[in-house]
Amino acid sequence: MRITVTVNGEERALDVEPRRVLADVLREDCRLTGTHLGCEHGVCGACTVLVDGEAVRSCLVLAVQCDGASVRTVEGLSGPGGEPHPLQRAFSAEHALQCGFCTPGFLMVAAGALEADPSAGDDPERVAALVGSNICRCTGYEPIRRAIARAASEWPRTPS
Amino acid sequence: MHGDMHGAEVLVVEQWSRREDERLLTGEGRYVADMDVPGCLDAVFVRSDVAHGTLREVDCSAAYEVPGVVGAWSAADLSEMPPCAQSAATLQDLPPVPYVLLAQLSTEEAVAGREWPVLVRDRVRYPGEALVVVLGEDRYRAEDGAAKVTFRIDPLPAVVTPSTAADDSVRLFDGLSNVALRGETGEPIEESVWREAAVVVEARYRQQLLMPTPMECRTILAVPEGDALTVWSGHQAPHRLRRELATLLGGLVERVRVVVPDTGGAFGSKSATFPEFIAVAFLAVKLGRPVRWIEDRLESMTVASRGRGQDQRVRLAADADGRLLAYELNIDADIGAYPHLGVGLPMQTAWMATGPYATPRVHATVRSMVTNTMVTYPYRGAGRPEAAIALERSMDTLARELGMDPAELRRRNFIPPEDFPYETPTGRRYDSGNYAAALDLALETLDYDGWRAERARRRTDPDALPLGIGLSCYVERSGGEPGGLHEFASVEAHEDGTLTARCGTASSGQSHETVFPALVAETLGVDGTLVRLVEGDTGEQPEGVGSFASRSAQVGGAALREAATLLVEEARARAAALWEVPEAEVAWSGGTVHPVHGGHGGHGGAAAMDLAELVKTTGPMRVGGRFESGMAFPFGAHAAVAEVDPELGTVRVLRLVAVDDCGVVLDPAMVHGQAFGSAVQGIGQALYEGIPFGENGVPLLAEGLLDYLLPTFAEIPPIEIRDTRTPSPSTPLGAKGAGESGCIGTPAAIVNAVADALRVADPCLLQMPLTPDVVWRAARAPKFGEVGQAGEFGKTGEFGEAGEFGKAGEFGKAGKFGEAGEAGEAGEGGR
Amino acid sequence: MKPAAFDYVVPRTVREAVGALGTGPGARILAGGQSLILEMRLQRVRPDLVVDINHVAELGHLSADDGTLRVGALVRHAAFEREGAVPGPLGTLFSRAVVNVAHPPIRSRGTLVGSLAWAHPAAEWCALALALDAAIEVHGPGGPREIAARDYFLGPFLTSRAQDELIAAVRFPLLADDTGVGFVEHRRTHFCFAQVAVAATLTASDGVITEARIGLVNCADRPVRAHAAERALIGAEITPPAGHRVPGDHPFARAGRAAAERDAAPLPEPYADVEYRRQAVAVLVGRTLCEAARDRLSRTGTSGGGHR
Repeated sequence: MRITVTVNGEERALDVEPRRVLADVLREDCRLTGTHLGCEHGVCGACTVLVDGEAVRSCLVLAVQCDGASVRTVEGLSGPGGEPHPLQRAFSAEHALQCGFCTPGFLMVAAGALEADPSAGDDPERVAALVGSNICRCTGYEPIRRAIARAASEWPRTPS
Repeated sequence: MHGDMHGAEVLVVEQWSRREDERLLTGEGRYVADMDVPGCLDAVFVRSDVAHGTLREVDCSAAYEVPGVVGAWSAADLSEMPPCAQSAATLQDLPPVPYVLLAQLSTEEAVAGREWPVLVRDRVRYPGEALVVVLGEDRYRAEDGAAKVTFRIDPLPAVVTPSTAADDSVRLFDGLSNVALRGETGEPIEESVWREAAVVVEARYRQQLLMPTPMECRTILAVPEGDALTVWSGHQAPHRLRRELATLLGGLVERVRVVVPDTGGAFGSKSATFPEFIAVAFLAVKLGRPVRWIEDRLESMTVASRGRGQDQRVRLAADADGRLLAYELNIDADIGAYPHLGVGLPMQTAWMATGPYATPRVHATVRSMVTNTMVTYPYRGAGRPEAAIALERSMDTLARELGMDPAELRRRNFIPPEDFPYETPTGRRYDSGNYAAALDLALETLDYDGWRAERARRRTDPDALPLGIGLSCYVERSGGEPGGLHEFASVEAHEDGTLTARCGTASSGQSHETVFPALVAETLGVDGTLVRLVEGDTGEQPEGVGSFASRSAQVGGAALREAATLLVEEARARAAALWEVPEAEVAWSGGTVHPVHGGHGGHGGAAAMDLAELVKTTGPMRVGGRFESGMAFPFGAHAAVAEVDPELGTVRVLRLVAVDDCGVVLDPAMVHGQAFGSAVQGIGQALYEGIPFGENGVPLLAEGLLDYLLPTFAEIPPIEIRDTRTPSPSTPLGAKGAGESGCIGTPAAIVNAVADALRVADPCLLQMPLTPDVVWRAARAPKFGEVGQAGEFGKTGEFGEAGEFGKAGEFGKAGKFGEAGEAGEAGEGGR
Repeated sequence: MKPAAFDYVVPRTVREAVGALGTGPGARILAGGQSLILEMRLQRVRPDLVVDINHVAELGHLSADDGTLRVGALVRHAAFEREGAVPGPLGTLFSRAVVNVAHPPIRSRGTLVGSLAWAHPAAEWCALALALDAAIEVHGPGGPREIAARDYFLGPFLTSRAQDELIAAVRFPLLADDTGVGFVEHRRTHFCFAQVAVAATLTASDGVITEARIGLVNCADRPVRAHAAERALIGAEITPPAGHRVPGDHPFARAGRAAAERDAAPLPEPYADVEYRRQAVAVLVGRTLCEAARDRLSRTGTSGGGHR
């Protein structure tokens, strides 16, 4: 089935079987392997990407469902000149990653929330819900919480 | 849009904290599944749906009809397969899975007659054991093929705990006992010691089977090219994998290269040559095509190696002053269906049975039993958590019976700092330690007195939830066992002034790429950015041991430091030859050789020469070798405060303090990260993680990670990590291993806190994981000091997984409970 | 663990969707897909045809008028996270319940209606629908019909919706402003199904309970309406206990025991045998009623007594 998906700002025409999940199409067809498959049953969140700005588990979405949609992956997080995203800097500064396998999922879950509403990072409960969305087996989560809070505090707020 | 966020205020681009970070944070990391190899086939395994049974028939033929399926093979099919690749001419049959004799983890005797086939031939011995391998053009097609394979297995009764396996009423291997190995350490303790002791604590503990669960499951990609085979795998010991694969595939050691790219965690679970790895490498060579196996999570939950798995019986005796007299630990270990890497692992528990105490008599016995479960392998802590948990739970119970502050009881028995090196009754030689210092720091950090006051307050407030404090002091072993305490490393200087450090280790998230170059740079006195690390590649570093047993910093780091030191010597020797002066006349500083006398002008007209120039002048410079290190014994003290809801049985950990001592610390931030993450895994063992089995011996985990519960952020209490630093005299850097501490120290602290909150009389009631139903039952059971009759015990303490190893209470010394009672609690208050 | 092959259609209208469903017994509706795609990955469900209704615009509406909340088939869980998204106490109840449904990235796709269609015994929405007497609007080849929630749940993953029927919407009666609501869930970690959860509403007159609605989550092979417990509460004082614990002789504790012994039919699960689950039901019903009584106090400001 032919679909058109905008991936990290680039429109891509793809021909995919309906059964292929978004994660596989991103990884295999688009060769964007930053999106990782950690459980393939919607629990761990390593495969989280943004579809039309919202964080979703790309292992529980069919690629054909994204026809006409805009998808953003960890590869699309940094700025156009390659400058790091505030979350990327904060994750490094807070040692919020060790093996790095779950990291793209946490970044995207946080990016979806903070980009929709940067004040989400000021509310401990909302930050807790973000960190509590995914599984990390290395860090014990606390550094991830600190990183999200730090990114939010350093977030460039739009001057009105 | 997001480009605008990086406003003008971000003028200074921050350095990444680790060299690994930039690629891992931008999606540029490369794990095995990310490799793009044209024409690569995906392997999928058809697996047994029963735990134990006789394989009657397998039919792969329908799979061949499925579009995109390249082939499907059972054990019987493989010998008939025509050789395709040149080198496959000698490969007629799948070899068995290798076992590791290293470090006494397995023995010839244990394995004899119990070989692990790559694919089931006639007998299934664990659920999920592979029957057929299917190769397809991608995973979807391979799974389509797998769905068409049919098989018939006649089920046999299954045994899933060591206690049920022990009587051999169900045998896994016809004609052989389920007991694959017996071992002991220390001297048997005379009955009179127990008889005459003022207090004896007796208990049974179940160290439940756990899944290490790295976020990346197992991976292997085998790419044949002519006579050579390159294997990519997320692995902890690439050189061992290369050696074993080469041997199995017909002795091509030099022709096999194993590369470990980015690896998504391991925790001990990625150190073996698994059956699936052999099938993949075998078929890649046989077909002359790249083949990969990317294990998926549910598959992993069925057949990835397990950790822990011990049924323990303990006796701990003390005199009336709380001085320990004797400790006995009997271990029935569950090693899974085949006695491979894990068969000798319980000896690690036995050897560490002494713990941090100067107990005069310690005796530990081991029976390693095969069961119808996936094979038990090392998992973070690997034998030491089991030792620490058994001893530390018993210590808290003993303190309660003595009416003594558990901290004071421990202080009275610690091996004092001046007694090191200390030979334990269980055969260990502890290198260094100051156990009391760690405990004192833990208590101070926790605010022990403050929580004791809060506990007392709650005991008088009928509306308050009960609160308990638990302690756990541990000593563990790092670096490995004799024969495995070395590592290979080299340092190479290049003409452009940069250096390449190579090491036989392999990182799965431990920041080697950051820590090791810094160590080499520091040794050489050069800028860290000049040094690059290459590891996890047998093509670059021909010999190596790997990263397990907390050995990378202690052993690998030491090897790199020594290699760097050798490089300095080499540079000085070359400069001396160049300048025609004695070596003693050449000094090294900051990456430069210069004459000792005469500053820049120099001896014989020689000027200072930097390393790049020296290499240009004298030719390539790479030095290295094999470097020995010693065994080290990290230690620490963990303390937990937990609140229990007795109506629901829920446990809320309010605070956890972990004080760890891993000697000299190479990078505090990394060690802190390891300690924190490890403590969270320890919480997992204490409260959440476990494998329930159905009647048929198949794990009840149909919903995957919704059934096997890893700690999530919502479960993480406030954790404070502190350290003391007692250098190891037996390792070159003074470093001891880090990273396993939390798994070792934390579980007992939490269980002890719950036991303290509930004041439960029978410690056997609290078996891990402390799920709400377990805690609720314990909360309803007689309290410490409330019971007088032996009859109260003995009906409780069933061990979750099978219920067989239950009926614990026969050991309950009821009279002792009655004696201490509330007086003990009262006495504590006045400290 | 990849889905087996299937055909895929994207209808634009309910009529087209129902038409596609009628092509054979192997057709399945895809809305949020957070259960369906998971089940397809596990190959416990192998549809021949997936009917993706996400482009049926008429199914996306959420409306509240004439005392009724109507939730279209494409309204995502996340829509109910904000307390004011639904008017009155029903909004409070939904906002307390919805945070227990998986986690935000699942809630941004999964739907309330899909949850009812899937009918997992541990689904929060199913128990709410039952307790609140929701009406389920289905469209089949013969046209639309309505199923009362009490007639809808037949067993685990089993409902009275026919395979060729599409749930277009679910209607909930809005709750009167003086209704107190509570929702309490008990689970082992943040990442698992409820061992037990309870939804409750209380209305009272002169400090005496006149109506109670209690829904039990994962207390049987299907959602349960705790009728016995509800009856036990009628005429009792609505005053919640002062402290954290519910005394055994308090009406809420009695209702809890009635729910546990007479309403619930729990099945054994690993780490929760029947005895434990009955205990959890009793405790949770008591606590949920406390929450509802306190909620009512905060909502009405009127004293049933004992508010501190």
